[in-house]
Amino acid sequence: MLGAGQVGTTIVEALHDEHDLTVIDTHAERLSALAHRFDVRVVEGNGTSRRVLQEAGVGLADLLIACTSRDEANIVAALFAKKIAPDTRTILRTTDVEYLEIWRERQLDVDFIVSSELEAAHAVSQVIGVPAARQTDVFANGQVQIVEFDVAEKADPEVVGPLLREARVPVDSKVAGIIRGGEMRLPRGGERILPGDRVIVIGSPRAAREWSEVMAGRIERVRDVAIFGAGRIGTAVARVLLEEDLAVRMIEADKERALLVAEALPRARVFNATGIDPEFLDRERIGAAKAAVFAMRDDAKNYYAATLAKLHGVELTIAIVHDTVSMEVFERAGVDIAINPRALTAEEIVRFAHDPRTQQVAMLEGDRFEILDITVRESSELVNRPFRDLPMTGSLIGAIVRDGTALFPRGDDVLLAGDRAILFAESSRVPEVERAL
Amino acid sequence: MTTAVARATRRRLGVDLAGSINLIGSLLKYFSLAFVFPVVVALWYGETPVPFLVAGAISAAVGGGLELVSRGKERIGAREGYLVVALLWLLVPAVSALPYLLASEAQLSRPIDAYFEAMSGLTTTGSSVLTDIEGVDRSLIMWRQFTQWVGGVGVIVLAIAVLQRLRVGGRHLLQTEAPGPEFDSLAETVRDTSKRFVVLYIVLTLAQLGILVLFGLTGVDERMDFFEALAHTFATIPTGGFGIHARSVEEFAPATQWVIALFMFVAGINFALMYRSVFRRTLRPFGRDEEFRFYCAFAALGSLILFLELVTEDIASGTAALRHAVFNTVSMMTTTGFASTDFNLWTPLAALTLVALMFVSASAGSTAGSIKVIRHVAIFKVLRRELDQTLHPELVSPLRINRRVIDERALRGVVAFALLYVGTFALGSIALLIEGARVDAELGVFEAIAASATTIGNVGPGFGFAGPMGSFEPFSDVAKAIMVALMWIGRLEIIPVVVLFTRSYWRN
Repeated sequence: MLGAGQVGTTIVEALHDEHDLTVIDTHAERLSALAHRFDVRVVEGNGTSRRVLQEAGVGLADLLIACTSRDEANIVAALFAKKIAPDTRTILRTTDVEYLEIWRERQLDVDFIVSSELEAAHAVSQVIGVPAARQTDVFANGQVQIVEFDVAEKADPEVVGPLLREARVPVDSKVAGIIRGGEMRLPRGGERILPGDRVIVIGSPRAAREWSEVMAGRIERVRDVAIFGAGRIGTAVARVLLEEDLAVRMIEADKERALLVAEALPRARVFNATGIDPEFLDRERIGAAKAAVFAMRDDAKNYYAATLAKLHGVELTIAIVHDTVSMEVFERAGVDIAINPRALTAEEIVRFAHDPRTQQVAMLEGDRFEILDITVRESSELVNRPFRDLPMTGSLIGAIVRDGTALFPRGDDVLLAGDRAILFAESSRVPEVERAL
Repeated sequence: MTTAVARATRRRLGVDLAGSINLIGSLLKYFSLAFVFPVVVALWYGETPVPFLVAGAISAAVGGGLELVSRGKERIGAREGYLVVALLWLLVPAVSALPYLLASEAQLSRPIDAYFEAMSGLTTTGSSVLTDIEGVDRSLIMWRQFTQWVGGVGVIVLAIAVLQRLRVGGRHLLQTEAPGPEFDSLAETVRDTSKRFVVLYIVLTLAQLGILVLFGLTGVDERMDFFEALAHTFATIPTGGFGIHARSVEEFAPATQWVIALFMFVAGINFALMYRSVFRRTLRPFGRDEEFRFYCAFAALGSLILFLELVTEDIASGTAALRHAVFNTVSMMTTTGFASTDFNLWTPLAALTLVALMFVSASAGSTAGSIKVIRHVAIFKVLRRELDQTLHPELVSPLRINRRVIDERALRGVVAFALLYVGTFALGSIALLIEGARVDAELGVFEAIAASATTIGNVGPGFGFAGPMGSFEPFSDVAKAIMVALMWIGRLEIIPVVVLFTRSYWRN
């Protein structure tokens, strides 16, 4: 691994049990901190140096993860690795969507590439699609959606309160987990959802929207989004939202940057203003936007602007967070959603690094829970057994994808070999689940 | 002492005069080849070729002489381009007027009349001082038509290559074709870009000629023979508009008029756009081109207004009304200037519409004169953005045409051009009015406005005695000189001429 920053640390956290890791970084302190916490080998040096890469043992590695914050360093390291050991698979982190495009055109010789900007943009777009959700993730080409909700007091009493087996849970969805007081509870029939809980739901996109209404009452669909900060992330978010035919207004303090973005995004309305000028917010009726995204460079500024936007009437505030610590601050302080692009990037990289059968992974609650997408082996002991008989050991299958179509299994449906099981599990149980399936 | 002063002046001069003169001389020398054509025509019809031979010889001699005195200065840059273009468009009409003077043609025996006719031809305007066109020698008539066609070639080169590179009126960024490398040698880049468009120009000419000749042969139009077909094609493709009959194209069959209307319209399309469409074998570029869409829309709108006016005022009816509406709309818009009927006799609303269409004009990158549709589109968008930004002061809104962001400097150029154009037109109208009052001419305010608009826009006919079936002959010499200047300035899109009168142009 190259890079022991935020992304690197998160990845190490997720992978250190299963894999032998060697981490390269130029900062000695970072490395020693990492070595203290986890059982990993560390090499101090510049990852763009071939000698350092060879010393770190790239020639013997199955996988190189280049996840420093510097694109060029990542690319150079990945290309060197390919030269030193052509069989080594490489994953690249990039901050530039352009590299992603180049990779898709097969002009960049790496196996997988992750763009923080794009991850963040998709996260924002998913949250805006399901307004009450804390976090959402899609699987199987969007057929299956995983959503995390905070249960509010005003939530629908037909779902929140009664025993789960009696609750009117939206069709084609399953409660995958209930978190109460930091404790995970398995959603057995005798369990109930209570206000203040956090629930994880797996279901069809329609069901996800229904859940959103269950949790927060009828909410109008978001059509108008204000984005503060037209940096790389802000622009990526705008691009994704524009593709979904939302009206996008961007507020950028830097004049030249504003012009550049206005030229690049013809359908966005770009304003050259600071997001913290109340007069401007009033004049442009920023409060009328259903949702606002704060993607400025400075967490504190985002926080201030988000609070100000709330005061002006914006319903849904989504902040892009750069520092892990800010995540909690934001959520405590009333910013609706905080998205950490670095955490998302780490997640995406971990997905790829996992068992090859495991297609995608999402992490919830930091990294305490994971959503796995596992193709069921023929030799699995669980094959051909109805779902009600499957053991519930800290994990739950929320959906299966059979021949490309998503199914939301009931008790008497049977698990078949070749099914892709989308399941929710505690992180510590992931290896166990992978073995079982 | 005097040589020292001269040297000092030369050093202070920011323009390479010798280089400019060299290029002008060279082009003038090549232009003398144009006289071969009327010589052939004259011999064919048994008329004297002497005027053309003499004019050709003079042209070649003057050109060669200019080249000789400025030898060794062949490379010129953008700055000299203005001077070359402006002077060339004064000199070429001068040598083109020679045959009119040398032939024993009474109607064109005065230098100002001959020069007016030549300038009108080469700027593809089509205003004429002739009163009895049918009485003029065939070779001289064909020469007059041919000056329009040659002028059209010059305009193609001017519009597509030269003015674009000289960044006149925001042109360089309005062009659909991306400009090439910056001009190190103006002549070379001009040659490259022009060549293919001239080929297209020739193809269009042959197409129209073929159809008209076919009409004559098959009896669709009894009056059409090869001479007529060639004479009218020479005036259509360059959007010139010289008729060779007293009643313009009125006496031709409706089918002929429709064909001429079609080719006028085609000649008003951006040649770069047409070339791209032919080259890629698809019509898609047309649908995507904003200027083309507005060009069509303006043509449709003008036709509709005229059609309704003609029908409701009982001037014409049915297909005839439609034909006159479309033909004269397209003729005015493309700044050609043919008339399918005497629109001088139409209602004031119709007349106003026709004059308004002179300002709309056709596409940039065609042989049409005047403001051009794309500039209207740009100005419209600038105004719309201005209103938007009044309500939203912080809004950053780059302006796009054909999905491409247009540079703000180009937009300023467009606005400046439009203002200069309208200003020059207004000055021209006033000058014509004053001169008209001085010599007691039969010239009302509207006629003066129409005359100014038609000459600066390189259209052709005006109103009143200078209407489509009339002549510019009654204008005084001063008025003719004013209109010659307007044709010249309009053809060069004003700025290259105006620039020559600024001090900074000549300063180093």
